Amino acid sequence: MRILLVEDEIHLREQITEQLKKQHLTVDSAADGEEGLYLGTEYPYDVAIIDLGLPKLSGIELIQQLRSIGKDFPIIILTARGRWQDKVEGLESGADDYLVKPFHIEELLARINALARRASGWSSSTLQCGPISLNPSSQEVANNGDIVDLTAYEYRLLHYLMLNAGNVLSKTELTDHIYQQDHDRDSNVIEVFIKRLRNKLDPDKSLNPIETLRGRGYRLTLPRDN
Amino acid sequence: MTIKQLSLNQRLLLAVSLVLTAFLGLSAFSLNNAFQASADSAQRKQIQNYMYSILIAAKFDDSGFVAMPNDIAEPKFAVPNSGLYAQITSSKDIIWQSKSMLGLSIPLPDYPGATNEHFSTIWLNDNISMLNLAYGIVWENEQGEQFHYTLNIAEDLDIIVQQKAEFQMSLWQWLGGTGLILLIAQAFILRWSLRPLHDVAIDLQAIKTGDRNRLPSDYPKELNQITENINTLLSHEESRRDRYKNSLADLAHSLKTPLAVFRGELENSADLTGLKKLGHEQIDRISDLVNYQLQRASTEGQSSFLAPVSLANIINKILSSLDKVYKAKNIHQQCEIEHDIYIHADEGDMYELLGNLLENAYKYCNSKVTVFMTLQLNLVEIHIDDDGNGIPPHAREDILKRGKRIDTQIEGQGLGLAIASDIITAYQGEIKLENSHLGGAKFIIQIPKY
Repeated sequence: MRILLVEDEIHLREQITEQLKKQHLTVDSAADGEEGLYLGTEYPYDVAIIDLGLPKLSGIELIQQLRSIGKDFPIIILTARGRWQDKVEGLESGADDYLVKPFHIEELLARINALARRASGWSSSTLQCGPISLNPSSQEVANNGDIVDLTAYEYRLLHYLMLNAGNVLSKTELTDHIYQQDHDRDSNVIEVFIKRLRNKLDPDKSLNPIETLRGRGYRLTLPRDN
Repeated sequence: MTIKQLSLNQRLLLAVSLVLTAFLGLSAFSLNNAFQASADSAQRKQIQNYMYSILIAAKFDDSGFVAMPNDIAEPKFAVPNSGLYAQITSSKDIIWQSKSMLGLSIPLPDYPGATNEHFSTIWLNDNISMLNLAYGIVWENEQGEQFHYTLNIAEDLDIIVQQKAEFQMSLWQWLGGTGLILLIAQAFILRWSLRPLHDVAIDLQAIKTGDRNRLPSDYPKELNQITENINTLLSHEESRRDRYKNSLADLAHSLKTPLAVFRGELENSADLTGLKKLGHEQIDRISDLVNYQLQRASTEGQSSFLAPVSLANIINKILSSLDKVYKAKNIHQQCEIEHDIYIHADEGDMYELLGNLLENAYKYCNSKVTVFMTLQLNLVEIHIDDDGNGIPPHAREDILKRGKRIDTQIEGQGLGLAIASDIITAYQGEIKLENSHLGGAKFIIQIPKY
């Protein structure tokens, strides 16, 4: 999952980025509203975290502009004052949830996961497709209850495939959602990761969890167990 | 100095002077006109009277000759150059002339027609104007022969011009004098009427220097409305200042406890995990304290100086925000508002009050929240119900009054309800906690509406 973080306070920005990366999330961060708008317009995000008091372009204006150009990814607003009037204004302008500073990083993670799940049609907190389950908060992947050991990128890829289970995802789309904006991309890597995921999730080739659609991309075929 | 900078006194004086001048000028103009018209018509009547007296005195004989006695009723006809002249002509021939006309040649008008009167102004030597009456006379002798005469009577206008000048002179003197007296009176009246304003300024200055707390209430009725409002504003500001001061003091005081706890632990404990846990706890506590005291300090409290805010609007906005945030919980929300109610309150306070109470309901309900608002006499009543587990009676007091003991107590629940309770108090309202018919908690808030 790829996250956009717009926060002007440098320490908080770095802390959140670091913590989210630890949770295998892909994070792009911006220090002001204009940069946030640029990133939000250019790249596909799964969730955005936007501070309300931003320089250049306020958080509210940023959210309004993102929504007006049709960006519908879930947005969490961060507010320092925690005034209800600010929260209502932020939610009215198009945000989906709010957090009052200072907050626990676990709380932010829970909100991110909940919003991403909701946006892709999941209702339970653990994603379960057939025998495979993925718990975004503990980042544990299991096959029929047996823990499967995945690398960071494998986990990111599986998380995104499972969030969008049943949908065809192109290589570019997958790259976009698991790599940061400044990362050196090579879409062939996706093929390698997919192959490894197949080996790890389906060692005896009986399940065939990921389908390849030539020229179109990949699809997780296991049924969602909602 | 522009018009805007003129003092009230100057404005009134300027306006009154202009109006007075215009009024007096118009009066003078119309009086003068009326006098002139009546003087003119008096002169005409006079000339007509001369004409009749000459007609009575004149004796016409059968051959058309006119005989005039020497003593005509008006002696001025007998004095040469007297300014009053008479002449009878037939065709171009002068039949008779008054003695006053001796040696004068005045171009008099011709026959105006039988029994016709014709007034005109004529000029003698180009500088003396005269009013002339030409009258056509027909004399028929016993043989039935008709003779036509023109009787001209001219009177010098000098007299009337002089009369007019005298009249104008006295007119201006009277009007000018009256105007001056009115202006002076006006200036005194203004000073006297505006004096209370001056007094207010002095009293306000006294408040500024600290010699007074409030404006006295012995001003004229019109000013009292303003000064009472100023007093209300002063009280409002004073209570707000007190709130700021108190919450600042409370904040400083209450921050010391968590800081002391943490410092003590830092000095004594070697257990890093325990220290971390304590650090987190104390930071949460400090954050709560800051939020709570900040909200308390910024609460406006009831004041008629605040623009009225729509409670229905605020409730609806908060509900749609909460619906969004608690989407996953699938809450069935019902909002019953008969009529919108506007109250003089700070919008932020109302958002805070209703936001905290409504979020509390959303957070602790199972699936149902209802909101009901009504106005009873001058009391706004809002009910917020949920179908959660409710709050046991013994804990109710604590939850609402938590803010008071925040520095001595940490609980799992946030400070939302304590903040709501404080805001209600600032608006002289009441908050009650009961069992809801839905099975959970029922919050009833009452706010007086002024």
